[in-house]
Parts: sequence; C-alpha cells; structure tokens
Amino acid sequence: MEKLLRELQHTKLHSQTRRHFLQSAGFGLGALGLGSLLGSCGTSAAESSVAAGGLKAGIPQFAPKAKRVIYIHMAGAPSQLELFDYKPELIKYHGKDCPAEFLEGKKFAFIQGVPKMLGPQGEFRQHGQSGAWISDYLPHLQTVADEITFLKAVHTDQFNHAPAQLLMHTGSPRLGRPSLGAWAVYGLGSENQNLPGFIVLASGGQQPDAGKSVYGSGFLPSVYQGVQCRTGGDPVLYVSDPDGMNRDIRKQTIEAINKINKQTYEDVRDPEILTRISQYEMAFRMQMSVPEVMDVSKEPQFILDMYGVKPGEGTFAMNCLLARKLVENDVRFVQLFDWGWDGHGTSEKDNVEGGLRQKCRASDKPVAALIQDLKMRGLLEDTLVIWGAEFGRTPMQENRNGLVMPYMGRDHHLEAFTMWMAGGGVKNGISHGETDELGYYGVKDRVHVHDLHATILHQMGFDHEKFTYPFQGRNFRLTDTEGKVIKQILA
Amino acid sequence: MFDILLQSSGWTLFVGRFHPVLVHLPIGFLLIAALLEIGRRAGKIPVSVSVINFILFWSAVGASVACVAGYFLSLGGGYDAALLESHKWQGVGVAVFAWVAWMVSSGWFNKKMPRISVLYLPAFGLSTLLTLTAGHDGGSLTHGEGYLTQNMPGPLRNLAGIPPAEVLSTDIKPIGNIEQAVVYEDIVKPMMKQSCVQCHNESKKKGDLRLDEFAFMMKGGEGGPALVAGKSTESDLVKRCLLPENDDDHMPPKGKPQLTSEQITLLSWWIDQGAPVDKKVSDLKVSDQVKPALASLKSTAKGTGSGIGGRSESLIAKLAVSVPDQKSIEALRKAGLTVNKLSQDQNLLEVSAVNAPGFGDAQISLLLPLSEQITWLKLGGTKISDQSLKEIARLKNLNKLHLEHTAVTDAGIADLKSLSYLQYVNLFDTKISDSGLKNIAGMKSLRSVYVWQSGVTDSVVSQVAKQYPNLSIVHGLSASAMARFIKSDDTTAAGIVAK
Repeated sequence: MEKLLRELQHTKLHSQTRRHFLQSAGFGLGALGLGSLLGSCGTSAAESSVAAGGLKAGIPQFAPKAKRVIYIHMAGAPSQLELFDYKPELIKYHGKDCPAEFLEGKKFAFIQGVPKMLGPQGEFRQHGQSGAWISDYLPHLQTVADEITFLKAVHTDQFNHAPAQLLMHTGSPRLGRPSLGAWAVYGLGSENQNLPGFIVLASGGQQPDAGKSVYGSGFLPSVYQGVQCRTGGDPVLYVSDPDGMNRDIRKQTIEAINKINKQTYEDVRDPEILTRISQYEMAFRMQMSVPEVMDVSKEPQFILDMYGVKPGEGTFAMNCLLARKLVENDVRFVQLFDWGWDGHGTSEKDNVEGGLRQKCRASDKPVAALIQDLKMRGLLEDTLVIWGAEFGRTPMQENRNGLVMPYMGRDHHLEAFTMWMAGGGVKNGISHGETDELGYYGVKDRVHVHDLHATILHQMGFDHEKFTYPFQGRNFRLTDTEGKVIKQILA
Repeated sequence: MFDILLQSSGWTLFVGRFHPVLVHLPIGFLLIAALLEIGRRAGKIPVSVSVINFILFWSAVGASVACVAGYFLSLGGGYDAALLESHKWQGVGVAVFAWVAWMVSSGWFNKKMPRISVLYLPAFGLSTLLTLTAGHDGGSLTHGEGYLTQNMPGPLRNLAGIPPAEVLSTDIKPIGNIEQAVVYEDIVKPMMKQSCVQCHNESKKKGDLRLDEFAFMMKGGEGGPALVAGKSTESDLVKRCLLPENDDDHMPPKGKPQLTSEQITLLSWWIDQGAPVDKKVSDLKVSDQVKPALASLKSTAKGTGSGIGGRSESLIAKLAVSVPDQKSIEALRKAGLTVNKLSQDQNLLEVSAVNAPGFGDAQISLLLPLSEQITWLKLGGTKISDQSLKEIARLKNLNKLHLEHTAVTDAGIADLKSLSYLQYVNLFDTKISDSGLKNIAGMKSLRSVYVWQSGVTDSVVSQVAKQYPNLSIVHGLSASAMARFIKSDDTTAAGIVAK
C-alpha cells in the first residue's frame, strides 16, 4: 500500500515540469500583486453583468431623455470672456489695476501681485430668436444659437488642468474614480453589441493633462472604461488581422484563448478576467464594425464640406463627424478631447487673441455642423451634446512672474465660466446663470461641476443620489455627497 | 410694558413655535373625554367618573399651556388681526371651560354650592365645541382662509353654499403677444401669485406685507416698502430674491419654489422702468438683457426657438402595461434585435434593430406578441417596407418610430394614423412625399417628424408647419443654406437655421 502511494507521488512529480513550477510561482506572485491592487474590487452585480457576456444594456431608473451623450471637452480651457460671457463693463476697465477685492485671499495658477484687467477681445452680438450672446470668434455656432442652452456661471474647485479635468470627468480631483462615461455605460450598457459603449477621440496633438484617467473606469470593472480610437490610420491599433491570418483562424485563436481564460476565472474568480474575455470577443466583432463606422469616405461630399474634413485627416473636425457616425450607431457615450486651448499669452499660439481665434476657426464649423447634422437626422432630440472645459479664464490679464506677457492672455479661473448643452431633453435657446459685470463671480444661478453631473445623469434616466456602486465598504456615486439637478434647464 | 419685555427676549418666539405641537394635546384629550362621557352615560362603556376627571384635568392643563404658547407666537406678528382675535378668545374659552368642568366634577363646590354641578355638562360641551371652532380658525391662520374647502368637489360646495371654486392655477400661462402684454397685470402679478402671495395675502400677512395687489406692495410691511420705483437694486423685493438661498432674509424661503432668473430679470426691469401698473411691454424700453427673459414667457408652452426635444411631457410617462412575455422577448433577440425595458418602474419596451440590418418584413410579426409594451421602435436602415407598417400600426402604445433609410412610402405611413401615442417619426432618407406628410401631420399626438432627404418639398413643409404649430417638421438645410453654411469665412451666417 505504502509502495503504491509512493509510486503515485512519483508519477505526479514526474508530470510536474519546470514550466509548471514557474507558472504557479509566477502566478502566485502575480496573484498576490493583483490581489493587493484590486483590493475589495469585484462585486457581484457588475461581475454578473460582465459574465453575462459583455455589456448588456441596463435599465435606467426612469425613461431617459438622452439616450446618448457627446461630450466635447476643450482641454486647456478657452476663455468664456472672448466667446460667450459678454461683459461691456470690462471694456471700460481694460488696462486698469484689478480691484483688491478680487485678489484678497485668492490663489491663481500664475497671476502674481496686482494684474491689469483685460477687456473682451471679441465682437459680441445677439443671435437667433433667443438672443444668445456669441462673439465673432464663433460665426458658425451663431447659426445654431437657438438649439443651445448656455450655463454662464459654472464654477469648479480646482485651478490646475489635471485635477480640474479629473473633477470635471470623475467628480473628484484625485485619481481613482470612474469617469462620467464609465458610469453611463455601467448604468445603461451598450446598445450596439459590435461597438464599445464608451469611445474616446482626441485631437490637438496631445492627450488631456490628466491622462487616461479622465475616461477611466476607476473602481468599476475595467470593461466600462473609454476605448480610445485613433482618427487617422487604423482606428484601433492591433484590431485588424495580421498578414496571412484570416478571420476564421483568428476566431479559433480567440476562442482558444478565451477557453483558457474561463478556466483561469474558475480558479481565481477575478472579475478582470471576465473583462478580458469580453474584450477579446468585442475586439473580434469590432474588426468588422469599427472600420465601417470610422470610414468617412462613403459620406457625401456636402457632409464632408459641412464639417470641413478631408478623409484621412486626424483633426477635431474629423472627430466631430465620427462622433455623429458613432451615435448614429447607438454608441452610448462619445468623449471628444481637443487639446491646445490654454491661452496664457505666453506664445503666438497660447493667447486669447490670434491663438484662440485659430483654435476657434478649427472647431467652430465642425461643432455647429455636428448640431445641425444631428438635428437633421432626428438624433438631437435624444442625444445630449455638452461643450466645455475644465475651468474658465480670469477677467484679468495674466502677469506671469510679474512680467508683461507678449500676447493678451488670461489665467485659469474657477469662479465662473461658460459651458453649453444642446439636445437630450434640455431646453433650447436659453441662458442660465449670470456673472457680475466684470465676469469674475457668478451672481445668479451658479452651477457647480457636481450639479452638471447630476443633471447629465438625470437626463440619462438616473437619480444621481440612488445610482451607486459599492466599493471599499460604502456606496459611491458620481456626485458623492453633492450635486443638484439643474431643473430650470430641463425641457 | 409686559409686551415689550416679552418681545425683547428671544424666548417668546422659541416657546411660541411650540404652539402647533402643544395645541393638539388638549384637542385629543378633550375629544376622548367627551367620547368616554357619552359612552358612560349611554351605559356602553364601563368607565369610571374619575378616569374622565383625570383626562379633563390634563385637557385643561394642555389647553392653558397651548394658550400661553399661542400668545407668544402671536407676538411674532404677521397674522390677520380679526381672525387671530377670534382664535385667541376661543382658545382661552377652551381652557377656561375645561377647568370649570374639571373643578365641578372634582367636587370643589359640592359643599358651598351643590347646585353648581348642573354646570358640568354645559362647560364640558362648550369646551369641546370651542376646540373645534378654535382649531378651524387656527388652521385658517396657518394655511390661509379657504384652505380646507379649496379642493371641495362641486356638489358638496353647492350643499355647503360655498361659491364654485375659482380655478386656482399657480402655473403661469404663456403669453401669446408679448408686445401687447400689460407688464404688471400679465407678467408681474402672475409671478407674485405663483411665488409670494401664499404667505403675503389678505389673511396671512407675513412680515405685515401683502403682495397680492400693487397698492399693498408699495405700502410694504415691517421693513418698509417692498419696492422703490425706478430702483430695483434698492427694492427689497429684488434684493431678497438675490440673497443666497441659505440667508435668513432670502425670499421665497428655502425649500419653497424659487423665482427663476428670467423672472427676477423681468421683475427688476419692471421696477427700473418705474413700476407702472398699466403700461404695456411696448410702452417700456426693452433692453437687450430683458429680451431673452421676455421671450421665455412665450416659451412655457412651446419651448423657445425652433422647438425640439421634449417640449411636451411624454405621453407614455404614466402608461401602465402588463409584464411582457419573456419568450417573445427572446424570440426578438434571436432575430438580432435588442430589447430593453424603458425604465425600472414601467414595463414598456424599447426595441432596436441597430445590430440587425437584415431585419425585414418576414420577421415583423415577431413584434406583435409585445404589441402593448413596445413604445420605442428603431428600424432605421433595415429591409422593412410598407408591408411591415401594417403590423407596426398594431403596436398601440408606440411613441417613437425610426424608419430612416428604409423603403417605406406614403401608402405605408398612412397606416400609422391609428396610433394615438406616436410623438416622433423619423422618415429621413425615405421616399415619403408631400402627400404622406400632409396625411400624418394632423395626428394629435405627433410632435416631431424628420423628412430630410425625402420627397417632401420646402413649400409644403412651411404650409403644414403653419397649419400645425405644435408639430416640428425638420426638413434639414436647403441646398442654398447648406452652401452658405459651408462657406467657411461667412461671419454673418445668421438665418441658416434648420427648418
């Protein structure tokens, strides 16, 4: 008997090769690391929804007014005082010292000492039946003024780009929280089974300062994070088949990999493995759907002209057109980032005169075309378009290091700035909120970033106070403990 | 002297505000004592006199304490004097008669005046009766006169001899012709009625202020006149609205419906223009800031501008239907359609063929088992034709229908006329022509139709739009407008608005 057992042990040891040892040793260490990284992650609700095979559409708490969102973020923060917030009084103060009351106890990113006030550089006129104030920086947006609801007194807590962008997209200035798009897809799922529910398109030559966290999934399973698509070349890298491999072989490969992944999941129960499985499957489906939806060559010429794009370009204009195509295919959340709006006055590009005009010229027509196009296709009614940045700009001229800047520039400003929304069940042709006569403080109907989030979730069918995810022992929400739906702008 | 002393101490109002709490004790006590007394006399309840006597004692104590608290509360002011007087003395009556009844039943006077025991029942009865009348007056003081009967149904009103209900709508009605609107009567007064008059009226004058008539606004309250004609920034009416909501002096009080920024703009404008009572909008100077606010008065009904999206509450918001059959849902999913519930609290379904471009007439009957539940249906870009529309017309609760990029024609969409919840139809890039549009435009529920790149002509769109002002017909940019839009250096592109 003893002999038998010893032989059995022997045979077993024989079958254990060096590879097995390395695998288990490596995996053991990896699992330790993974375990500590994930902490108390995996929760049953999300896990089972992932296990059920990718992003099943969820059920909103009440019928949504906005089925889809296009969020246009102008990274760097354009000046509201040049574009929307018309302050004739500021012209009179141009070149005069900033009143002390604006400076006492305040911190700015760059302004030091007593800066001069800087009058608006744009020519303002009222447009549309609604009489919306839009400057000559944005001649095309003027044509869709009546579709837009302006929020003139948005305010935030952060005056540096990265934390302010994080706050604007995740509800917290620190890393680790899920982004607005991730929440949306977690709540509503993706309707189109062949495309990711949350797609990110960036332009302007750089990624947003806060990096990928602004469209990350935070503590939500990573299947909900934004998928960035490139605008030129392959939209998603490595999604197309390598030379000499056909789709059938690819399919078999993925099936084999996923089989192993499923076995591993049975062993270690890590929800991230489910994410990986569903992403493999999604990638396979995307091989067909992505090239099709990202291909603008079949669009008629007048549409290309309307947005001002040429096929093959990787511009902001192209991203606007792609955003339309994506929502047309029921992608839930499309996030656009355009970099290069930080007009401090330090260079020919970064200022609120020529530089800002240049950025406006490249983005004004595509944005107006997007609204016009969505409307003509019957999509604007239930697609919420949001335009804004991480903060605004000061009514004072920047005086970095106490010097006179070579160009007209403004510093980061968090007390009041303008954002706008169109479609998606918000009123059209109204202006909500007001700043003081110099555009420094919001004096009426101020809107905090959390209020904005509450409102966006509300339009998507969620009560922001009840839309939660359990993490590290408590229920988290996008607005955490704040936020108030801006009822006045809801249609 | 005593009054002044009381008023100057913070305690009076603090104690005073307990009046509404305390006052309910004697009400309950007295009523239960009365019921027990009746029960005892009728021989139905084995209850002893001493129990009723005990309750009476506490009723009297409660009533007395409530009287004191009530007096303190009244020192805060803001109540209709006559009503307050009557309430006060009735309240005192309750306490006094309760004490009398208690003393009599305790046998205080038995030796000296044995005959006085006849007073027991009258005193008890009066006290109970006064509880009811004082209670009613108290309610009127707090909620305003007529509060109780405000929602009384018509027949009851006739019986009680109360005049028929005035349609008390605090909703501000949209104004058709703004130029001809009388600023005070048509703009300011409805605003006051909606947000202020509930606490500042004839019977409830908080801060001794009435805002229901112009003369009273000028007369003002404790803090002086509510407005200074010509100077909105010095007018309390405006100043208080602009204070932070957490400020004690902010009006309307925190938690109550607030004035919108447009309303405050209009109010300031009216005051700045000298607060005229009988002037029309066209008589006054309309500045650029006021224009959008004035335009908003028009919009409560229609949405501003060209009016898209949800300008009327969805017709299906309250629709209740039975739970959908799971097998039928699975059948649809097998055909490649996505099927989702619209919301957690309703059984309505949204069906989309975004992943099933091959969906066609042959499969349309799969929808029918869910004819009650399907409200949003997206069949854009599929192979369906007019034949399918006959079946779709049987989805009786259909609310949104996407038919863009399909082969449907005028003949097919005529079938849709039977759908009474249909608000949205997308016919972009179809063969629909003028007659098709005219045919469905008259549907009562319909709010938006999309006919860009169809056979519908500009002239008919504008003709139909005039005929049905509640219907938004989106026809897209015309070729010339598109050309103007595309011309990139066109800085005065005004007028290119999608029709």
